[in-house]
Amino acid sequence: MVAGDQSDPADVLIIGAGPGGYVAALRAAQLGRSVTLVEAERVGGVCLNEGCIPSKQLGRFAAAIASVERLAIAGMPGLAGAPDLIAFHRHRKQAIATLVQGVQQLLTAAGVVVVKGEARFVGRTRVCVQVGEESVRYFDFKDVVIATGSEPVALAGLPFAGDRVVTPSAALDWDRLPASLLVVGDDYVGLELAVAYSRLGGKVTMAVPGDRLLPDFDADLSAVALRGARIARVDVRLNAAPADNPAFERVVVSAGRRPKLSVLDLAAAGLARPAGPFNVDPQLRLDRHVFAIGDVTAGLSLAHRAMMQGRVVGEVLGGRPAAVDATAFPRAVFVEPEIASVGLTEAAAAASGREISVGRFPLTALGRAVIEPGTYGFAKLVFAGGGGPLLGAHLAGPRSTELIAEMALAIEMGATAEDLALTVHAHPTFAEALMEAAEVSLGRPIHVRPPRGSAN
Amino acid sequence: MARFEFKLPDIGEGLAEAEVAKWLVKVGDHVVEDQPVLEMMTDKAAVEIPAPGAGVVVEQRVAEGEVVKIGAVLYVLETEGRIGGMNEQVAEPKQAQAAAPQAAPQSESGVLTPREIIDFAGTPVLAPPAVRKLARELGMDLAQVRGSGPGGRITAEDVKRHTSAPAPAPVVATGDRTPLRGVRRRMAETMAESARSIAHVTGFHELDAGAFAIVYRRLRDSADSAGRRFPFDALLVRAAAIALERHPIFNSSLDDERMELVMHPQANIGVATATPEGLIVPVVANAGARSLDDLAAEVDRLAAAAREGRASVADLRGGTFTISNTGAWRGAHGTSLIRPPEVALVAFGRIEEKAVVRDGRVVARPVMPMSVTFDHRVIDGEQGLSFALTIRGLIEEPEQLL
Repeated sequence: MVAGDQSDPADVLIIGAGPGGYVAALRAAQLGRSVTLVEAERVGGVCLNEGCIPSKQLGRFAAAIASVERLAIAGMPGLAGAPDLIAFHRHRKQAIATLVQGVQQLLTAAGVVVVKGEARFVGRTRVCVQVGEESVRYFDFKDVVIATGSEPVALAGLPFAGDRVVTPSAALDWDRLPASLLVVGDDYVGLELAVAYSRLGGKVTMAVPGDRLLPDFDADLSAVALRGARIARVDVRLNAAPADNPAFERVVVSAGRRPKLSVLDLAAAGLARPAGPFNVDPQLRLDRHVFAIGDVTAGLSLAHRAMMQGRVVGEVLGGRPAAVDATAFPRAVFVEPEIASVGLTEAAAAASGREISVGRFPLTALGRAVIEPGTYGFAKLVFAGGGGPLLGAHLAGPRSTELIAEMALAIEMGATAEDLALTVHAHPTFAEALMEAAEVSLGRPIHVRPPRGSAN
Repeated sequence: MARFEFKLPDIGEGLAEAEVAKWLVKVGDHVVEDQPVLEMMTDKAAVEIPAPGAGVVVEQRVAEGEVVKIGAVLYVLETEGRIGGMNEQVAEPKQAQAAAPQAAPQSESGVLTPREIIDFAGTPVLAPPAVRKLARELGMDLAQVRGSGPGGRITAEDVKRHTSAPAPAPVVATGDRTPLRGVRRRMAETMAESARSIAHVTGFHELDAGAFAIVYRRLRDSADSAGRRFPFDALLVRAAAIALERHPIFNSSLDDERMELVMHPQANIGVATATPEGLIVPVVANAGARSLDDLAAEVDRLAAAAREGRASVADLRGGTFTISNTGAWRGAHGTSLIRPPEVALVAFGRIEEKAVVRDGRVVARPVMPMSVTFDHRVIDGEQGLSFALTIRGLIEEPEQLL
């Protein structure tokens, strides 16, 4: 210790107040720990301030335009004028401010001390937080949780440049529609932006490096995503080189995210800086008193994964025997049609060498879908063979992002096709597609023709 | 005709299970309402479980010596009419079978489970999240549990059953083996729990009991002449009650899950009592508020009930502090185990004449050994000593006890 250093004790110190960090702080505080939460920007992290929440706001705004267009055939008059992005952003920011304030109130009520500033390790049990231009504070912790999240990756030949070549987060802030927009990437972040700006009236081109969108989803979902993007008038170019083109007014690069660890100075705490994300145990431990959660850990970069990890680490810090043992994390993509997925893709299930049974039910055979013009999609369920449990669910169509919750529960509970087929689903709803897909896998569908020769 | 599954009702606050001590009827016996059907051993007291109504006992589901959880089905009663309130009516066994889901049993080896989705290397187990959590809390490996649900799904009941399943018997020398039951079993469990969880510290003291013995004899004789009894322990309970008032931390509990100290509003003082069945501790409720006569009557009643095996569950529950008088067995100094969730215990030994130094001269005085044992997680050494000195003062100047 340097003479004259003033330091504060921190029973539990959490670095990063995103969906992982703030949840961990609340749970640990509920269980009697005294928590200091350090955040360089705003509580809620990327998700709340510049990721999931604002991108859904933009996506839902744009989807409303698409609904009106689709209903034209059923007599709905068209839009009176162009969408007012300035009004949209005003409302958007208010909603986010409400959410941020809500998190802050929860933290205050729980007695969590929030410190604003960038943290870096200066010892095995000590961090230094840059709280102002020239002022720092030191904290001596008993336990520390690294929850610093992730940052967007730039492409080698296409660096971020000013406000023309930007990250997906930056693209959510535009209050004027670009005359032409190039989205480089194939992930759901880029796809959501492309579809939204296209629906808002922009001329959008998407340069996809490979031969499919959403390459980490089931192939059927990639196909429906491509169809949907094209119906939304996105000019999707497959196998396109990720290069700039001065013809576009704006360029968004969506090439994934990487753990944000550089400013932490892990070496000062005696921790090795991993090449990629941290590998943690089910208690989220890196070392006896060092934990890591969220995007800095290996796995899908998802807010709900971070939140689950935050809850678990909070309980571990509170002395509870908690562990992350969720079987599958659902994913929701807010495009046209909505796409959602949980568990194994058909290809991965088949590649594992097991016997599987797949049921796929098209929305064209579903009453609820037919009454809405322009609705298409499917429910595809992958079961272990021999009457085994649900392994994966892949949904495309309206409300898929909500329906996936039932599928996640089914996987966690070990539900079989019989369980889903024998669970009564309300009529007429999109949820019936799940029950029907289970029936298809059992070879005895009602609303589509059964496979030839089946007599179940 | 209707069949009632009689489930073990909640017979005492905080009791999760009880042992089947004795069946009082046989299968086929006709019972009338409120007739005792079986005897359960709970928290050191025997409780008779009465029939909820008239009928014929057609099935006994538990055996003597079995430890069963609250809510477990004990027996099936076939009745003429409906019995309200106690347990729900169940269908005839044939109907029940017909209504059961037709899930065909599946070969365990053929079923692949979702656990493999994230953990191909791990042992496949099929259990809902809440069951996984339960297993984790019990420190149990789910791979060792046999699932009774469809497709081998593991239920919470399976996990609990696995916990209580006997471990494979270690290879030990052969000998006469007797199952530990009832009071002795409870003693084994409570004392092991005490030794495991409590940080015991014991201080030893020698008290001049000259004046105390005189006061006791006076009280005993005057009670005798009134045709009542004045137990020696009543005076010790009195001393403890006064000391607890001055040192309330000794009348507390540690909630170690939440790390919170619970201060008890009244002193319920247990009196450790040896019985032919083993050690039991009847409790003098609200000892601090009782008159000396009342205290004497209650201590006398409890001791008799305990010795004769008549102590009720209520008599044995709610203790906040314990005294142990080993003097009757010529006990001198010894350490004690605290009864969780209490935090302290005081033990008194036999009063004997000893050589002590008074004003520079060696004299013979009646000396009573005392040990104060406390939970160092809650009470520190200085508090422990201060409590002991308070009791010492009360015993050596016993007028304060009257």
